[in-house]
Amino acid sequence: MLNRASSGSRWRERPDGRGKVTGELAYLTDRYAEGSLIGRILRSPHPFARIKSIDTEAAKAVPGVLAVLTHEDVPGVNRFGIVIQDQPVLCEDVVRYVGDAVAAVAAETDEAAERALGLIRVEYEVYETISSPEEALRPDGRKLHPDGNVLKHIQYSKGDVEEAFGRCAHIVEQTYKTPRQMHVYMETEGGLFVPEPDGRLTVYSPTQHGLKDRVQIANILAVPEENIRVLSSPIGGSFGGKDELNVQPYGALLAQRTGRPVRIHNSRAESVRAGIKRHPMTIRMKTGIDSAGRILAHKVSVLADTGAYATLGGEVLTNALENSLGCYVYENLEIEGKSVFTNNGVSGEFRGFGANQAIFALEGQMDRLAELSGIDPWKLRGINLRKENDPGAYGQEIYPTDGARQVWRAVLASSLKQEESRNRQDVIPDKPWIKTGYGSAIAMMGTGLGKGIPDPGGGRISLAPDGQIEVAFSYEEFGQGLLAALELMLIEHFGLFEEDLRLVIGDTDRVPESGSSTAARTTTMMWLALGKLVPEFKGKLFDAARERARLPSGQLTLGQGGIRLEDGTPVCTFAELAASGEPIVCEMSTAFPESPNGDFANRFLFVQAGTAVRVEVNELTGRVRLLDQYHAVAGGPVANPQGFLGQIEGASGMALGFTLTENAVMKDGRYAFGNLDAYLIPTIVDQSKSMRVEAIEEVPEGDPYGPRGIGEIGSVTLAPAIAQAIWNATGVRVSELPVDPALLQKSPQYLQEAVQPK
Amino acid sequence: MALNQEELLRSPAVWQPRSIEEAIGMKEEWGSAAVYTAGSTLLRTQWEAGTAAMPRHLIDLGSIASLSGIREEEGAIAIGPMTTLTDCRSSGLLAEHAPLLVDAVRNIAGWSVRNLATLGGNVVYRVGDAVPALIALNAKLEWHDGSRLLFESAEEWASSSYAVPRLLTSIRIPCEEDDPTSNTKRFFAFHKVGRREAFTPSLVTVAIQGEAEEDGTLTKLRIAAGGGQTTPVRMTRAEELLLGAKPDGAGLQQAFEAVLEQYEPRTDPFATDLYRKRTAANLVVAALWSQSPSNASKG
Repeated sequence: MLNRASSGSRWRERPDGRGKVTGELAYLTDRYAEGSLIGRILRSPHPFARIKSIDTEAAKAVPGVLAVLTHEDVPGVNRFGIVIQDQPVLCEDVVRYVGDAVAAVAAETDEAAERALGLIRVEYEVYETISSPEEALRPDGRKLHPDGNVLKHIQYSKGDVEEAFGRCAHIVEQTYKTPRQMHVYMETEGGLFVPEPDGRLTVYSPTQHGLKDRVQIANILAVPEENIRVLSSPIGGSFGGKDELNVQPYGALLAQRTGRPVRIHNSRAESVRAGIKRHPMTIRMKTGIDSAGRILAHKVSVLADTGAYATLGGEVLTNALENSLGCYVYENLEIEGKSVFTNNGVSGEFRGFGANQAIFALEGQMDRLAELSGIDPWKLRGINLRKENDPGAYGQEIYPTDGARQVWRAVLASSLKQEESRNRQDVIPDKPWIKTGYGSAIAMMGTGLGKGIPDPGGGRISLAPDGQIEVAFSYEEFGQGLLAALELMLIEHFGLFEEDLRLVIGDTDRVPESGSSTAARTTTMMWLALGKLVPEFKGKLFDAARERARLPSGQLTLGQGGIRLEDGTPVCTFAELAASGEPIVCEMSTAFPESPNGDFANRFLFVQAGTAVRVEVNELTGRVRLLDQYHAVAGGPVANPQGFLGQIEGASGMALGFTLTENAVMKDGRYAFGNLDAYLIPTIVDQSKSMRVEAIEEVPEGDPYGPRGIGEIGSVTLAPAIAQAIWNATGVRVSELPVDPALLQKSPQYLQEAVQPK
Repeated sequence: MALNQEELLRSPAVWQPRSIEEAIGMKEEWGSAAVYTAGSTLLRTQWEAGTAAMPRHLIDLGSIASLSGIREEEGAIAIGPMTTLTDCRSSGLLAEHAPLLVDAVRNIAGWSVRNLATLGGNVVYRVGDAVPALIALNAKLEWHDGSRLLFESAEEWASSSYAVPRLLTSIRIPCEEDDPTSNTKRFFAFHKVGRREAFTPSLVTVAIQGEAEEDGTLTKLRIAAGGGQTTPVRMTRAEELLLGAKPDGAGLQQAFEAVLEQYEPRTDPFATDLYRKRTAANLVVAALWSQSPSNASKG
């Protein structure tokens, strides 16, 4: 088991731990600058409307107001979006959701900004809200975008499913629905935007990819990229929610216009209204097995509500479809998915990236097929598991992995699974309405962005003038433990010393392009980059040391603080070396490994997880409690034990919310809540009192990829495991999340029976 | 940061009267431009949500010493309305004489809120989770209207609507001495069902206090149900059915149906009427089932 005791000296305090736990750490949104203005955004009150006119005269006349901007004031491209730039910075003619920005104000005080917002006159012609993908797909429906309401349509097939269904002994056909989940980072979106004396603009604002923000902001402001500097770490949580631009365009435009620093920080209510959410999906699956349990045919249809703009909706759909196949082998396949524009906010990137929805459905199918066929559910999975050298879901070549079998075996051997086989139903005599049950699920998730999507990596290692070894990546620390993992990797695998290191991230002026901190890719990318950079850097250090000390060629080693002879005799310190000659810098760029074949966005490098749970259902209230959970995770060598455990625990907590409590309820394109008193994320009381994580580190011999990213996989298997446990406890099948307690409530006949003398 | 003139003018004035009379005088003078504040935890959420406007005057009751503390007096436990929920939760007197209220208070909000929030604030909110418990405990409320004291039961308060400015000055829970010759057993139950396990708005809140003979005959029973924005009320029909009876399966079924019929929850987008009704009815019936001698012994 992975825990503090089993990790020994590898269990380290995080470099950012103390500041975060004590609250001493200042986030970027805590920053002020002398003379800074307040930036505010006027957002659409309507989910869908045409803008007839915008009048800002009265707002501009408010004392203390320095700028009121509309689309006419955007000097560059009035659009943004990570992949497809379709979201207006400031809307010109149409608003498509209640968070759409229409105007931006900079003022001396909150009150002046607030008053100015109230005085901006916008005339709208209100359109009928398109509040579901089904409505959006009606042929006579209004189009949100010129190309229509379908953002992406994917189809893939192999063999002949219809023929194969004819040969199946058992077929399950079911529709699954998943909620619109909110990221609920502690730090809401915001930033400080400072015009510098040299004409550049410094942006202090959280993001998952500073260099990407720099490109987008430069395009909006119509200035060269070099004129923008983005500082983006530390971040008070992101989970995918801050990868896309949020307040940055407005802060940057207002600072550019006024020449003064501008501060914007969303209230929770504004964050709810404007921020992206997880895609609600309706997933229809039809799956058939033969009498031995082998899957002969699997048919999948996904309908995703992507909201008003593209952001990463297309990519989320792609990943959902890949994950709708899990880690099984299929004879015949037919999968299809649509991501559809609606007026329901904006859906986008969120930890798990479509896999959460797909695995809930797929594992639900396996459990229903097990019930139908009488085959044990775990055994049924075992029959269909892929083998080490099998191709990927789409037949693409993938890096060999036996992770699926490894986590499957680990779950089977787990104490929870053993407990389940001994003890299918506990009965508490004085509380007959409490029912307990067990469930388990398995998943396999690709890391990296996928075939065909630019997925750059790289890094830089250099000797700074003060003698510190600087290691720089364009990654961000948003709580996932990146800095701790990087530090430990440098110490353990590359023989550097903690005291000599300076880690540089989150500043576009100081980091090379290493790509985005997303898709569970950073750990692998750092490993690959350092594997090339560190030996090269050491060689340069040794050459410089030899030259300086006029040593003949011979073996040198790296010691704490400097270079030594093999016997430990000091040769020179890093500071001396830094002062003596040419700068010593190694930089490289690479790309995330991808499959040599396959045609669309499929992955190459995979991680797997298997989860077993015990839950309790109270039939008086229908409420479900998670009592115990076990996770086996195959992610290669553990880069940082504490970080690994934290990722699985944290992801499981988010998955618990996805399963039981969280749903950003919307009615006619408007959120039915505005704050965290109505949108409920789990608290520590909702968490299971026991949780064990087992890391399976075994990888194929000669593996070049090192530790895999496990930041997302922990969030995908809990929901189906809980659903199965609920069925075992109550006999009720859950196919919609979050679980509706009303479905599990029983009327009190059993009380009558129980009260009668036996 | 220094406040500018405009901000100063817009901020409410905070007054700290030293006596009940002074507080009431202020309220009478400013009327709806003034609001009494206790812990301000509820007001804060209302201001933030925009469901209440920040008034011009806040009358902070925190400096009136007589409004705080928990005392035993004249056969009752008297709780000052300014007593924080945390103090109620850790009170030995309440644990001994009104554990039902301690259970209720423990289920309100989270630690940081309970450290500030007061029992009086929860009562005046009317749909607070302490109110069903106080109804079940047959608590009395003492109010001051500026000239005299007014008394009413928690039950009357919950179902009334008042406009006259008055101030809650005491919450009294009757203490019944145990009769050493009696074999009756007291029982109570408090259930709050939300959408998560802690720090949750209530969907359904149920409080029950009763007494039963050794053979299970119910001699006293008060059942109150509220939750969410539902005004807490007594489930009188179920009480009538059960009092004097030894509830068996059929009796509990009737009680279930009586609660289902009498409990009228107010809905929101997060749970249906039917779910709330069934939850309230299930919890009431299960509590009565649990106290019946034949079932309690199963534990």
